[in-house]
Amino acid sequence: MTFAHFARTPSSRHVLGVGFLLLLAACPKNQPTTTPAPQPAADSLRARPAADLAAAAARRDSALVVARRDSATARVRADSIARVERVGARADSVRAQVQRERQDSTAATPVASGLDPARAAAFARPIHFALDRSDLTAEATQLLDEKLVILRANPRLEIQIEGHCDERGPDEYNLALGNRRAAAAKRYLVEHGIADARVAIISYGEERPADPGHSEEAWTRNRRAEFVVTRGGR
Amino acid sequence: MKIIAALVLCAWPAALRAQDTTRAESGVRIGITYAPGSRPTIGVHAPSGAVFDSVRAIVARDLEQSDRFEMVESTPDTAALRLGAAPAPSYLVVLDTAGAGASAVEVRLTTVGSGLRLMRQSVPLQAMGAPAWRRAVHRVADEIVRTATSTPGIAATSLLFVLGGRLVRIDPDGANQVPVGAAGRPALSPAWSPDGRWIAYMAFVSSGQPIVLQDLVTGRREVVPTTEYGLNITPEFSPDGRRLAFAHGTEAGTDVYVYDVARRCCVQRLTVGRFSDNLSPTWSPDGQRVAFISDRASSPQLYVMAADGTGQEVLGRFDFGATGTTAGPAWSPDGQAIAFHREVHGTPQVFVIDLATRSVRQITDNGRNEDPTWAPDGRHLAFVSSRSGGRDLWVVDLETGRLRRLTTVGGARLPAWSPLLSTSEERE
Repeated sequence: MTFAHFARTPSSRHVLGVGFLLLLAACPKNQPTTTPAPQPAADSLRARPAADLAAAAARRDSALVVARRDSATARVRADSIARVERVGARADSVRAQVQRERQDSTAATPVASGLDPARAAAFARPIHFALDRSDLTAEATQLLDEKLVILRANPRLEIQIEGHCDERGPDEYNLALGNRRAAAAKRYLVEHGIADARVAIISYGEERPADPGHSEEAWTRNRRAEFVVTRGGR
Repeated sequence: MKIIAALVLCAWPAALRAQDTTRAESGVRIGITYAPGSRPTIGVHAPSGAVFDSVRAIVARDLEQSDRFEMVESTPDTAALRLGAAPAPSYLVVLDTAGAGASAVEVRLTTVGSGLRLMRQSVPLQAMGAPAWRRAVHRVADEIVRTATSTPGIAATSLLFVLGGRLVRIDPDGANQVPVGAAGRPALSPAWSPDGRWIAYMAFVSSGQPIVLQDLVTGRREVVPTTEYGLNITPEFSPDGRRLAFAHGTEAGTDVYVYDVARRCCVQRLTVGRFSDNLSPTWSPDGQRVAFISDRASSPQLYVMAADGTGQEVLGRFDFGATGTTAGPAWSPDGQAIAFHREVHGTPQVFVIDLATRSVRQITDNGRNEDPTWAPDGRHLAFVSSRSGGRDLWVVDLETGRLRRLTTVGGARLPAWSPLLSTSEERE
């Protein structure tokens, strides 16, 4: 699994964000400045800043010791903070491991699209569907038209369209519904001149929500088709 | 026309409520009155000792969960019982040592009235506590049920379900909850072969979503031909184990296909959906018919066809736009009913349709209740329910309405109840 691949998933983005904050917090003024090497794996990313934070917490506490001359309390506090951080880091690394296993075994391997960032972002924008529907809305066709321009300008680009559903319908029916959504998006692209072989489809049903919530807003976000570049352009 | 539609809409939920004559337990409707005392009573007696305690506990729980007996405290002194010195149960189960060096526990079933010994079986005590040993005890309990009531027990079975994308199995008494298959390989929709040796399921892999057959004895896995690509879901073995029905999705919709498992060849298409979805096949016990879900008339509903794909018809009347999404059908082992779930005001509830009268009975009404699966005795259903918060497996006895919770995992999905399992079919 690549770092970029990891960074693509919403939950891991969160993990990275927290890890970055912890790195900042752990960077003291009087430390020799050693730049940490980039860590590809999520668990080592988590474990290192957690340990650094614990050290930083211990240092903050040692200042208290001087002020209060109460070293025992400070040590106990530092230990308990370190312990909590250690447990947290372990739980996070287990979560990251599970997430990684899931991604490894099922996701299409994303590749560098060769698109400039603006185009890549426009291309990746998902289209959304009404409840239990697979027909394209006016907004969806407008987004697909933008993708058509990019696909025509980059004739070597190959893509996979992923169909997704909200959590409300039957689990197994949702796999068929997600398939129909991806197929509807593909049909539109093929009808507008894109070669059939450049567009693959897959359905994830309700298995991979973009929003883990259980509200009307979350469901609206989850009824979607996503666009993944599987072979780069240019 | 509008008025008629409005009347139908108003009358429909009321009709459902009208069937609910007796509420045996919160969240379950069965529509019959259960009178205590109408079932035979049974007592289980064992000498003291840890070995007897564990056998006794398993047997007594199995008999209780068969819902066919009234469990009573009992004495093994049949003479005293005959004289009326103690309240007499209809049946008495007595445990005793057997074999050289007390290497086994003997289980005897007698009738108290006549003193007749109806059954005698022994359980070897090697590997006591292991899953295979527990299964051996379950089989003895099932034999007691069969002997006393002429109906099959369900203790020597197992349920597969999905938890966190992974297949897990659990015994119907809640013991032996173990994962099946490798971690990190998400799977859905498990199904049992009728001999209990094979399971089929849908797997998520990078190339697609194939149907996988797994041999529970050797652990060997194989992918069903033609399912390497595209969407492949909801496998179901035919009752003779020779065929496997499943749904295959393409850009032109999802259709039901049948694979010849016995000859390991030939995939035949049963439905031609033309951009509709046809999925979740379930076989009649005689293998002649297949019920399935189709959204060909807009909302997903229950259909039935001959096993060669001819004679497709909607099963059970539904009102267009009023009858909720229907899913997860399971044909009963006696062939007379199909259980399924259907949305009622947006919330799925378990229903059973009687095939002779085509009358539909709502079984649940508390929380979300989904994906029913029949026990081999044809009177118990396991299903997923959110009545306790998270989604867990619950078991309902359709005769008494008695309900019990099977799992406490808070995320169980898509259960499949096994046939009766024998010893040789397990890898321990």
